Amino acid sequence: MDAVTPKTDEQLIAEFQAGDEQGFVELVNRYKDRLVNFVYRFLNDMTDAEDLVQETFLKVYQKKHAYREIAKFSTWIYTIAGNLARSELRKRKRRKTYTMSSLSYDDNEFTPVDHGKDTEGIVFNSYAGEEIMKAINQLPEPFKTITILRDIQELSYEDISTILDIPMGTVKSRVNRARLKLQETLSYLRE
Amino acid sequence: MQNNECIYICEQFTEYHENSLLPELKAKVDAHLTVCSPCQAIYQELAQVIQKLHSLPTINTNPEFNDQLLSKLRDLQAESTWSRIYKSSYMRVASYAVAAGFIVAVGLNVWIDPISPINQGRVSSFAGTQKPNAINEETLASQTDSVVGNSSDSLELSPGTISSGSSTLQLVNDTQ
Ligand SMILES: [Zn+2]
Repeated sequence: MDAVTPKTDEQLIAEFQAGDEQGFVELVNRYKDRLVNFVYRFLNDMTDAEDLVQETFLKVYQKKHAYREIAKFSTWIYTIAGNLARSELRKRKRRKTYTMSSLSYDDNEFTPVDHGKDTEGIVFNSYAGEEIMKAINQLPEPFKTITILRDIQELSYEDISTILDIPMGTVKSRVNRARLKLQETLSYLRE
Repeated sequence: MQNNECIYICEQFTEYHENSLLPELKAKVDAHLTVCSPCQAIYQELAQVIQKLHSLPTINTNPEFNDQLLSKLRDLQAESTWSRIYKSSYMRVASYAVAAGFIVAVGLNVWIDPISPINQGRVSSFAGTQKPNAINEETLASQTDSVVGNSSDSLELSPGTISSGSSTLQLVNDTQ
């Protein structure tokens, strides 16, 4: 590959669509860390986050022809990963409700839901990192997603607007409200 | 927050921080911040929050990530092989036809010569009618195997391609 002008994501997916698997490999290497950073903030579990990102790539592999060049590849893959993460969170909520109701009927059936058993592998640089993650996790949707996309992934307003399918003005006002909520939560946590 | 003016100013903070406000509005926020200490405090905290968010540590995937993905791709391919075989009515009809052919052939063979699996004799007997069933099962099993073998060849991504994909994945990984 030409080192001076690396191929764009769109060129790589086009190559993959044309049958060249090297395009897919390149996209995996380009996006795996970014997506794990994105998904981990939702799931707080590294193993689950990696599984979900792998599932995202499997979807790209299987549905490569569903991608049309009218959209940026990055917004397409973030949309897939975001949808999978939200559906995983819904599943977890159901499991949690189910296990809680099992407990009330029969203690023996209770299986604790394993949240974040692998998080000890992630060492935050400072207490501030933990504190801010705690605050992000307390944000209600849609503020949590928008904070992760804008302030952690540092995506453009335009890309976020495409991924979440909401107008750019709404993205901006939600980012602002999310930050204010975060600031409020952080000062509350410090008290 | 103090009043509607303060609420309005706070709504501008993100764009103010990103320096993307229109000059008129920016001047308005500047002016408000110099006279309103609660808003000033909120803005300062907000700027710190944004800075903290941007400096969160980056998480990296584990070194086995690509190998794990590859193994999932292999499973997916294997799954699709089976589903293609079962979903393809052509293959199903063909395999039924082959199976039916064998049943008839073996049946005839047994009817003509129940002792030998190959049609050698002309003595007809109905003894040993249990035997063809056993042969049938074996034959059908081997037929199924050959059907699977043939279909694997028609896959978009043959196992060979996946293996070479594996080394490519690792190779790219190593150069990171
Ligand atoms: Zn004010």
